[in-house]
Amino acid sequence: MEILELIQANLLTPIILFFLFGIVAARIKSDLKIPEAISEFLPIYLLAAIGLHGGIEMRNTGFENMLIPMFVAIGLSLLFTLNHYQILRRLGKFNLFDSYALASTYGAVGAVHFSVGLSFLKNQGVSSEGYIAAILAVLEPLAFILAIFMTNMAVAKQIKAKKQSFSDDAAEIDIGLNQTKTKLSKVLHESITGKAIVILLGSIVIGYIIGKDGFEPIKIVFDDMFTGAIVIFMIEMGIIAGQRLDDIKKVGVFLTAFAIIIPLFNGTIGVLVSTALGLSVGGAVMFGLLMASASFIAAPAVLRHAIPQAKPSLYITSALGITFPFNIIVTLPILFAISTFVHNGEGAIDLFYFITEGF
Amino acid sequence: MKLYNVKLLTITCEILAQENIIEILKKHEITGYTTYEVDGNGARGLRGQGLKNEKNIKVEVIMREEKLQDVVEEISRTLFANYAIVLYVTDVGVLRPEKF
Repeated sequence: MEILELIQANLLTPIILFFLFGIVAARIKSDLKIPEAISEFLPIYLLAAIGLHGGIEMRNTGFENMLIPMFVAIGLSLLFTLNHYQILRRLGKFNLFDSYALASTYGAVGAVHFSVGLSFLKNQGVSSEGYIAAILAVLEPLAFILAIFMTNMAVAKQIKAKKQSFSDDAAEIDIGLNQTKTKLSKVLHESITGKAIVILLGSIVIGYIIGKDGFEPIKIVFDDMFTGAIVIFMIEMGIIAGQRLDDIKKVGVFLTAFAIIIPLFNGTIGVLVSTALGLSVGGAVMFGLLMASASFIAAPAVLRHAIPQAKPSLYITSALGITFPFNIIVTLPILFAISTFVHNGEGAIDLFYFITEGF
Repeated sequence: MKLYNVKLLTITCEILAQENIIEILKKHEITGYTTYEVDGNGARGLRGQGLKNEKNIKVEVIMREEKLQDVVEEISRTLFANYAIVLYVTDVGVLRPEKF
């Protein structure tokens, strides 16, 4: 019952209400829209606020205990991506390209999810470990790199198999492999120097340097206005999601189910694993949310170049139109309830039992 | 006033294909082009709403006829299958042909 109450309470927060309002505005074909400059500015602002917040927290708690959670997060993210691929390819019967594109979209992390999560925790009066912002930065390009690597390997293999049936000419395989290398290094370079990671890492470093005292003069912009800024961004997200509502029919039943079950499953695993690693109630929620989130701002930009054969209408629509609303309305309170539950009362042995069962 | 005949290649495509096109132009040693963001409707539905990544872009390039064939061939071979893209060629007159 407690979970239902939490979901209900979450539904009536300004963030969710404005998101739903955006959807309604798009459905009634209103010409309401957030000016382009602002909707481009807000992700940068949100990432800067996340980074500053993380950097300041890291100064307080130190970052020597961040390495293990980070490596675990990397491992989980890669594992989930491969798992998604198997599910989509074998059960969903999607083609190779769509499968990898979708797998990485759901293996990747979403900064908007993260912002909503932070504001949700703030609302609940719970804090989280600052280094999770650093994990966000590290995870950002990871799933894509894996998916692009796997796709190119698969394509190279196909070319090889085809070639061998005709002749033993290896020239084209080399071309394929070389293309893979240039593609990967390009994606790596573009993601690391991309605006999202640069602003996030830059703000973490600056937050770490300035600490709580240095943050005081800019607190009004980067802390007090944070939730308000998300609300404005949510109108835009709602409008875009609303415009895509018709496309959901094209996504199909399988992908719709996938877009709901997978985040819930990944998120739960994330909460349990991070709790076992000793993260706080809020930290485990954020860790779980990272695992649950799907990328819809970074994904199209990366995947359209790296796996152009994949249909963007599939991965954008499912991530933005289904998973994002579901996550911020339902998954987030559930993860919070699970995290609270495993942090209170339950002993460590039970906890590990949960985890082994989950795997 | 003497006008020299060259070709104007106009490409309307999704914004995420812009980089590929510029790369192809570069490969054929064409460095001059003009781009602008546009909205529109087409085979892939209404474009230009919402996320910036879903906008369309228009690329205009003036080139000599000798190069045109290769450029168009490469664009159609590498981009037509996977991207929202339309291209067309027109005859234009320029004053300084040595620029192209």
